[in-house]
Amino acid sequence: MTDELIGSVCQDCGARLFPPAAVCPECMSERMAELPLSREGTLYAWSVVHVAPKGWKTPYIAGYVDLPEQVRVFTHVVDARPDELQSDMKVRLTSANLGIGEDGQPLDSYAFTPAR
Amino acid sequence: MREVSVIGVGMIPFGKYREKTLAEIAWPAVKQAIIDAGVKKTDINAAYCGTALGGMMSGQRVLKQLGITGLPIVNVENACSSSSSAFREAWIGVGAGVYDVALVIGVEKLTKFGGGTLPLEKEDFEVAHGLVMPALYGMRAQRYMHDYGLTPEQLAKVAVKSRKHGALNPDAQFRNAVTVEEVMKARPIAEPFTLLHCCPSGDGAAAAVVCASEIAGRFSGKPVRVLASEVNSGRYMTGYRDMTTPEITVRGAHEAYELAGVGPEDVDVFEVHDAFTIAELLYYEALGLCGRGEAARLLEDGTTSLGGKKPVNPSGGLLSKGHPVGATGVAQMVEVVRQLRGECGPRQVEGARVGLTHCTGGGISGFDHGACSIHIFAN
Repeated sequence: MTDELIGSVCQDCGARLFPPAAVCPECMSERMAELPLSREGTLYAWSVVHVAPKGWKTPYIAGYVDLPEQVRVFTHVVDARPDELQSDMKVRLTSANLGIGEDGQPLDSYAFTPAR
Repeated sequence: MREVSVIGVGMIPFGKYREKTLAEIAWPAVKQAIIDAGVKKTDINAAYCGTALGGMMSGQRVLKQLGITGLPIVNVENACSSSSSAFREAWIGVGAGVYDVALVIGVEKLTKFGGGTLPLEKEDFEVAHGLVMPALYGMRAQRYMHDYGLTPEQLAKVAVKSRKHGALNPDAQFRNAVTVEEVMKARPIAEPFTLLHCCPSGDGAAAAVVCASEIAGRFSGKPVRVLASEVNSGRYMTGYRDMTTPEITVRGAHEAYELAGVGPEDVDVFEVHDAFTIAELLYYEALGLCGRGEAARLLEDGTTSLGGKKPVNPSGGLLSKGHPVGATGVAQMVEVVRQLRGECGPRQVEGARVGLTHCTGGGISGFDHGACSIHIFAN
């Protein structure tokens, strides 16, 4: 289970980003601190993907989730029927197996699911 | 800067050439452009080759076939904008007076990957988490439909228009007409897209010869002037962004129009980067053909079809002509140059004087697009 997603916040200019980075793209500061991200956000956009490179379990729902920390996260939306999805609906963090990685190991990742 | 003109163009019909090497795919397009320009091999001072996935020394591999070697050859990678970016390097070199005549090549062989979605850079975070290009555009489409009420039928009509135009282009990969129903019932790729909403995978090559306008009279090729040559990178944004506004195209269009001293009202023919149906509609708005949310009206009232006031993608665009990634930018220029010369037969835009090409791409996290290149030409 993914407990939380961690982004970065710049200690000098306050810029926030996900995924985390060692240098700030706004001010080039290297004083980056961990930024625990909210577990709930809103679904900005999604697409049910039927064709993807080998390894991914298709179909899957790709989406962008906006979190209150002003970061947007690319994610898979799991345990959801496409017809229940709505723009700006609330979703919450979970984890899921998304397929098999190139190394042959299970591809487990964070994911989001409708907040029911 | 000296004014630069295109004096020769060439391309091969886009399609699948599994049995041919990259060099074998490209040399006929290069030879055609050289003959069209009326230049000798020795007149060419420099060459620029755009390819996204062609591998090392693509330009040298192509040009040795024709014995055009010993000159500066520079290979340019900028995803879908590779050869339009290569064209800009030639424009700079000739415009600055370093060279008098330069050759631009765009080439790609996608069949070597065996089909499927375009292979993207796996170091990218979103790609590593399952982002594919159809999904990225699919999300843009989904959000645009939500924000502006675009219907699935309207979206399908982009493909219908494209195929209608492509049927008139002997260089197009797809030359058959399709109906709205056929588009909507094709197999799903990334919703709301079916297969017919997506540009095909394939191979192809295109080439152009440019020279300083002041010496164009020395050669037999009919010159078309370059009014603007523009390349941009996307702005990296970590926060929320409006995916229905292609910011890189909006910025690029402003710059290109300013450089050319023309506006969208002055442009007679457009070739835009319709990798997926929604893209064409987003670019009507970004290039200033209409306001936000108005693109479907332009499509449905025939404004952007052949015979309309602002024909977009008379070649069939990426959806029908095909999209061998690195070849696309110069192939768009081939179409616009031929349109401005009045050489396009049944798909000719009558009286076309000013044309625009728009080529953008690169699926990487945090960008609308990685690169975008806009050119404006006039006869």
